[in-house]
Amino acid sequence: MAHPSFEAQLDMYLDGELAAVDARELEAHVAQCPECARFRDARLALRAALQARAPAFPASDTLRERVRAAVRAAAPARASRPLGARVLWRALALAASVAIVALGSWRLGQERAAGDTVRDEVLASHVRSLMPGHLTDVVSSDQHTVKPWFNGKLDFSPSVYDFAASGFPLMGGRLDYVGGRPVAALVYGRRQHLISVFLWPATRGSAGGPGVATQQGYHLLRWTTPDYAYWVVSDLGMAELDDFAQLVRQAAARLQ
Amino acid sequence: MESSELARFEAVVLPHLDAAYTLARYLTRHDHDAEDVVQEACLRALKYFDGFRGAEERSARAWFLAIVRNTAYTWQRRGRGEALTIEFDEREHSEAVADEHPEAELLRSSAKESLGRVLDRLPPEFREVIVLRELQGLSYKEISDVAGVPVGTVMSRLSRARTRLQEALQDEEAR
Repeated sequence: MAHPSFEAQLDMYLDGELAAVDARELEAHVAQCPECARFRDARLALRAALQARAPAFPASDTLRERVRAAVRAAAPARASRPLGARVLWRALALAASVAIVALGSWRLGQERAAGDTVRDEVLASHVRSLMPGHLTDVVSSDQHTVKPWFNGKLDFSPSVYDFAASGFPLMGGRLDYVGGRPVAALVYGRRQHLISVFLWPATRGSAGGPGVATQQGYHLLRWTTPDYAYWVVSDLGMAELDDFAQLVRQAAARLQ
Repeated sequence: MESSELARFEAVVLPHLDAAYTLARYLTRHDHDAEDVVQEACLRALKYFDGFRGAEERSARAWFLAIVRNTAYTWQRRGRGEALTIEFDEREHSEAVADEHPEAELLRSSAKESLGRVLDRLPPEFREVIVLRELQGLSYKEISDVAGVPVGTVMSRLSRARTRLQEALQDEEAR
């Protein structure tokens, strides 16, 4: 193809993604360029073939009923849990905020609603990971194995460190889904305890300051760097978990 | 969850069940796996619904399809489905065709299969962009949201997948 730069434009054009002014220019070019015209015709032929032969699969009535029943069965269960948990959390948050005001870094109020959901999900994910066979997707104590494993599975490349020298060996990693997006989860060990570190790219405005919470016997720590939002969850004692979080922060800061 | 919230969930998510099933069906390539994936995705969507603040029809679709997609990938990683990238199974497929089609139709359908077979054999990250764009008419931005990759990656994957499918189409015509 003589005009590789036009291929991308032609795809955009055929997908209805090219601005009108560019589209007119492109049409003028294709009108006098046989190669681009051939490329366009081949794409149109493929589209016609796919429409004719690659069917959409409508959901069956059985599936619709199944889903509706499952959703209705699950919905009441949701109602009872968050109420109790939220009341407790808000009480905790209130108490915590009194202490945190002195530190001047807690912006709980402005993100409480979103933070609640993410915290619940992070905790649920950690607890679920403790069930047999769910802990890690990639089992390795080698950061150079774990980091590349995420390639192609996430739209970011998480930094992975081993803290074995400090008594927190890296055990592996897994993919998870938190706050409506795929996230990296790294697993570390400390004696018989497990620590999950969740991280994903920080979004502007939703960052929030550092935070701590204790829920269902687990401690949760949260902070953000300019690049990433971090959550750390474990049943480890708060002091040790804090030491661990400090190691992660330092490693991330060295990178910058 | 209050009943009004449940009604809102059903109004936002259930209209996209066909799109969800189509995507799941192409990713898992099995009817039953796809149904299980869709059901699990709906339950996940219910769980995350508080965090969803989509105003318009299209963003709701992209939001829900992203969950369906991730559920399908998780499903496969758990080893509950066939690997998403497994090679086409000639024997299994031939039997299925023979069961469903009279012999006269078999000839026609074997030529017809080729494009579909190539689509099924594409790596899932290429298969999904074709399904989302060509079968469901999602915009680049929506596909980017569903697949969790930048728009530029969506475009290059679409381009590569299309070129691969076109080769298959040309091979068919040459036969």
